[in-house]
Amino acid sequence: MDLSLVNTHQKVLIKAINAQNTLKKRLLSLGFCVGKTVEVLETSLQKNTIQLSIGFSSIALRFEEAKMIEVEVKE
Amino acid sequence: MKKVVIALVGQPNVGKSHLANAISGSNLKIGNFAGVTVEKATAHFSKEEFAIEFIDLPGLYSLEDFSADEKVTKDFLLNGEYDLILNVVDSTNLDRNLLLSTQLLELHKKMVIALNMDDEAIKDGIEIDAEMMSHILNVPCVRVSSKTKTNITTLVETLTQTLKEPLHESKLIYSNEVEEQLEKIVTFLNEKRFQHNTMSNRQIAVGLLWQKKEIYALMHEQPLYVELQPILNNALGHVYMYCACDDIEEVIHNQHSAFATGLCAEVLSLKTPKSKNLTQAIDALLIHKLFGLPIFIFLMWGLFQLTFSLGEIPMGWIEEGFGWLGETLGATIENEALQSLIVDGIIAGVGSVVMFLPNIMILFLGIALLETTGYMARAAFLLDGFFHKFGLHGKSFIPLVTGFGCSVPAYMAARTLKNKKDRLLTMFIIGFMSCGARLPVYILFAGAFFEEEMAGNVLFAIYISGALLGLLAAKVLRVTAFKGEDEPFVMEMPKYRLPSVKLLWFVVYSKSIMYLKKAGTYILIASMLIWFISSYPQNSLIEESYTTKIEALQTAEPEASLEQNTTETSTTREEMISALENEKNEKLMENTYLGMMGKTIEPLFAPLGFDWKMSVATLSGLAAKEVIVSTLGVLYSLGDEVTEEDSSLREIIASNMSFASAMAFIVFVMIYLPCLAATVVFAKEAQSYKYTAYLVLFTFVTAWILAFITYQVLTLLA
Repeated sequence: MDLSLVNTHQKVLIKAINAQNTLKKRLLSLGFCVGKTVEVLETSLQKNTIQLSIGFSSIALRFEEAKMIEVEVKE
Repeated sequence: MKKVVIALVGQPNVGKSHLANAISGSNLKIGNFAGVTVEKATAHFSKEEFAIEFIDLPGLYSLEDFSADEKVTKDFLLNGEYDLILNVVDSTNLDRNLLLSTQLLELHKKMVIALNMDDEAIKDGIEIDAEMMSHILNVPCVRVSSKTKTNITTLVETLTQTLKEPLHESKLIYSNEVEEQLEKIVTFLNEKRFQHNTMSNRQIAVGLLWQKKEIYALMHEQPLYVELQPILNNALGHVYMYCACDDIEEVIHNQHSAFATGLCAEVLSLKTPKSKNLTQAIDALLIHKLFGLPIFIFLMWGLFQLTFSLGEIPMGWIEEGFGWLGETLGATIENEALQSLIVDGIIAGVGSVVMFLPNIMILFLGIALLETTGYMARAAFLLDGFFHKFGLHGKSFIPLVTGFGCSVPAYMAARTLKNKKDRLLTMFIIGFMSCGARLPVYILFAGAFFEEEMAGNVLFAIYISGALLGLLAAKVLRVTAFKGEDEPFVMEMPKYRLPSVKLLWFVVYSKSIMYLKKAGTYILIASMLIWFISSYPQNSLIEESYTTKIEALQTAEPEASLEQNTTETSTTREEMISALENEKNEKLMENTYLGMMGKTIEPLFAPLGFDWKMSVATLSGLAAKEVIVSTLGVLYSLGDEVTEEDSSLREIIASNMSFASAMAFIVFVMIYLPCLAATVVFAKEAQSYKYTAYLVLFTFVTAWILAFITYQVLTLLA
């Protein structure tokens, strides 16, 4: 499952980040990392942007970028 | 005094500028979103034997150049001259911030870590053991708060102490497997008695393993490279195997990340469980699926309503004040030309601009609130979907909003966009966001042609339609000139913070002073110049011919009154005289330098319904948009000496211009080139004369066409 399919207020674990060079580095430096927990806080009306909580920070992504992040639901 | 340079480095929005201000008492710009500082800024401070220069660098998430502003920092760190890195860290987000710190440690420079925002961290129940952290890293760490100014003196003492001492090697360690391989390389280098004059063998080993080009270049020249290569190959193979990853960048990141997480676990203790914080509660409303956008539109509408209605009150006083000043000063000056220069030139010109100071203050207060509370990032989040349809990036929102204040910082703010095409596209349409300098023109015209209750809405409509036109222009440019791939949208949403009253006051105060300075210098000179070229050469022939005509009427009066002793004829006579006076003034003005100039360019603007005065005003507006108002002020106050009772510029304009031409004028001003200063900055930021020429052409052509349409449609309707 990718991050764009996750419901709001659900906590998931990052399994893989399938992004290209610069974007991948950017995601890594923003705290995205395999094994980290992410929570979806809000999505915009037309499912365009998605707000996440990761660690102590809050990050906004577009759905296109969210699709590159593979996750699994935390038990 | 010893001159030393301290570089402030940290992730975006951790309060680097704020901390520099707290230490040195300077006034660097502060906001609450990533990318407020886009260029190096300096602050000075002296302590003991040191004259310290702080270099406030743009924030960056990691030492890779993602966007133009981050590149500034990276280039400085790698090639600039500095004595110490002051790494500013957000205590409420230690884990992620330490990622950058570990990268900085690899630079092998003197370093001090400031654990900033300690007050907020304590509120969130976060306690950091700075002493233990200093011990683990072998780098001094100090808990500070730039907001409450806690521990600032301790930080300064630590800085001077560190400057005095020689460089201590930091204790950045990697995982056991990597350390083992590093050890192998170091042992080999030691055995060969290899020594570099600045770098230790461990540093070289790390550089080799991390595949840093400059280290490779250095070692490649050494004869021992032949023997080194197999060892290195072997080490890399092991590292890849242990880390189950064959991308060195990712390996490095994982190493840093593991170190940061480990360190964080050692020094950070959470007192209270993390509960739903205030930011999340506010976000639940402000970026709500359904209410988010309407709230945003309402806030913007409110800002423009306030700008007009609240600004209206003191505006009346200022206008009256200048009117009074003009009359009293005018009465004391004997010399006619000097009187005209001061009353019609300087006071009318400068006064018409100063009048709008209250509006400017309200607008800038609004923008400062947007910038400092953290709402800006939310608006970018809400608007990205909409913007994306027009080929713009959500982050473009930030320079665009800055553009409502002034285009110059807006062009610079566009640096936070990574992609060059996105950046250029955003810069092209910044001009569509009407800057503060155009506000006087709009307020003047909105007040002249609309009811007072409507004027605020008209103002909002002007700004909104400007913005919408900008979006359309973006779409057109996107499918024609700036085709290209989309930049990913990855943005941090900062915590909501309430700005201090002091900070807001400072922003409004400095903008007001800047505005008044502009009025006192630039606009003063422009007003005098315009007064001069609109008063000279004085044509005595016209003057005489009209004077004789008027005299003829006046002398004819007694005879006429003998024949028909009615008041009716005397009033028509007076009217005729005043009409002649007006005609005389018009003719006189048309024969001045400015009049001749205006007449020459009039045909160009005639299809838009502009008379020559308006044409001249648009041209003078190229110097600065406020000059449009002062030009109109000078031109109309010179020409209208007859109608003394309704001397307000607004009324004069309302009676002298048709509705259609006035609207066409607004449209033209809305779109055409922002001032020359902004164009120069555009050229600098775009680093291209070609694009600058395009910008000039693009804005003029669009402005002309749209103003033409406005004028023709409104004339047809009327």
